Amino acid sequence: MRIGAILHEPTDVQAAADAGLFALLLEPPARPDPADTGCIAAAEVASRTRDCRVVVRLLLGTEHPVTLAEEVAVLDHLSKGRVVVLVDPGELDDAAAAEDIGLLRACWSGRPVRHTGARWTVPSGIMAEALGPAAPKTLAVTPCPAQVDLPVWTSRAVDGSDAPVLAERIEEVDARAQVAVGVAEVTGNLEQDRELVRSWADAGATHLLLKVPTPQSRPTFERGFFTGYIARHLQPEVSMPAFPRIMAESALPAILRGARR
Amino acid sequence: MRFGVGLYCLQSTASTPRHPSVPYRELLEDAPSLEAWGYDGLWLSEHHFFYDGYCPALLPVAAAALAVTTRLRVGTGMMLLPLQEPARVARLAADVAARSGGRLDVGVGLGYRDVEFDGKGIRRQDRVARHRDGLVELERWAVPAGATVWNGSATSKGVARAAARGQGVLLSGANPLSLVTDLAAAHRQGWEDAGRPVPPSGARPRVSALRNVWLTDSPSERLAVLDWQRASYVLYAGLGWSVAEQGSTEAMDFRTNLDKAVAQAVDTSIVGPAEVVLDGLREVHESGVDDVVLRVIVEGAPRDAVHRMLQRFAAEVMPELAPLEHSPSSSPLMPSAAEVTP
Repeated sequence: MRIGAILHEPTDVQAAADAGLFALLLEPPARPDPADTGCIAAAEVASRTRDCRVVVRLLLGTEHPVTLAEEVAVLDHLSKGRVVVLVDPGELDDAAAAEDIGLLRACWSGRPVRHTGARWTVPSGIMAEALGPAAPKTLAVTPCPAQVDLPVWTSRAVDGSDAPVLAERIEEVDARAQVAVGVAEVTGNLEQDRELVRSWADAGATHLLLKVPTPQSRPTFERGFFTGYIARHLQPEVSMPAFPRIMAESALPAILRGARR
Repeated sequence: MRFGVGLYCLQSTASTPRHPSVPYRELLEDAPSLEAWGYDGLWLSEHHFFYDGYCPALLPVAAAALAVTTRLRVGTGMMLLPLQEPARVARLAADVAARSGGRLDVGVGLGYRDVEFDGKGIRRQDRVARHRDGLVELERWAVPAGATVWNGSATSKGVARAAARGQGVLLSGANPLSLVTDLAAAHRQGWEDAGRPVPPSGARPRVSALRNVWLTDSPSERLAVLDWQRASYVLYAGLGWSVAEQGSTEAMDFRTNLDKAVAQAVDTSIVGPAEVVLDGLREVHESGVDDVVLRVIVEGAPRDAVHRMLQRFAAEVMPELAPLEHSPSSSPLMPSAAEVTP
């Protein structure tokens, strides 16, 4: 099972990336209204990191899906093809969310887009009179994403979408799926967190995003929380059966002692 | 006088093909270099549904460029405001501005391509109302977060209205200097007519202009530069851009008379050795322009040549012109662009 992190502090991005976490989701600032600016936080992660996946939270219902698709395609190029899209249906019902997700995927396909649904018609035809014979029958959403097939997850089950759902409880993990992703909260208590990640792995999760304590409330570890704790103690625990803990618990080489990350 | 660089359109064109990720990678490499060389800003440009991947989403790109720099400003020149949901785009801009310590210049334009409005399901006839709504939301969200709003109008009335709202303008690189002079004067007049404080008691918003500038001692490079600029303006034939006749200025229609329009645009170029560039930019300053965005990211211009020129310009030209300043203008380091500002 691969471990990633959900961060709230931009200052954590570098440390989390240096620790080798498979993916980072930097949440937008908390506000009373819907947090619909995930592409900005993701762009920051994309430019500050080289290797990890960049998870972008995409809130539906606040913008035209064609515009959202364009933003994600741009992010995919900024990150050199590392984007994972976490679709949050927000206040949309399943039918509406499924239509939006379908339109998003059509926009990312590289095919000419032509869509008629309950919520959207693309191209709209609204300027057909002005465009005359040049009125397009289809739309080219450019640039195409860098990836062949953008990974799309959803934050809740959406009837009509087959995208993997971010499980918030272990019982929700689909152990037969190629990708089964979960989210859990770590505390910094080693025994408790070892048990937590093992439970998710045993249930069949393939990817786990860890919500981490704030920098102020997390325990201190030699080489920091991400390298010294998650990467040293938690990721190895779920990287093989019966991880020999001596690998994580023996004294660090002198050159690494005291390193902050 | 301050200097920015643009326009980064992030394309892969028929004549300069490349992997579509390359311009994004190069932008993120260029941003710290521009900062190190002493430039004040970097400017992006937006279009939609065009074959070459012309960047359709500027704020994520701005966020990425700002995250790898500490002083450089990043501007949208222009972001087509009516094509986005007003409140959401304002929140995006606010987030970028807050994360960067207020280094975002949000240049906004109306948009002009019917196919873009059609793709987004928006009537072109509604663009002014949507633009107005967008400006209200930017003032509500983005300005308090530190963003500076710039206007991309290309008419005297438009720039006067922008000045009355307290916004700077960035004028198109294709504009002849006579039109630049008219628009800069209209901007100052709009500011004063709105009852805004007149310098020296108050600072007015800045007037900036994209200009085709290239510093070179080589006659052969000069010819090559003019050819790159010619090629870069062909793009606007594909996009269907045109400039209406204004006052003493001829129409510039890239759709119906490409050769003439391109020649008009290329004719605005200031290309040559340091004394030619200095004289040309002093003339731009005298026309009422506060700051200049060097239009050097153009079709066919080799990246190493652009970098060499920008470093030399920073060393030889910028120090000479830095002291040039009109009556006090407001603090944002760099201004913003006109509608398409080719």
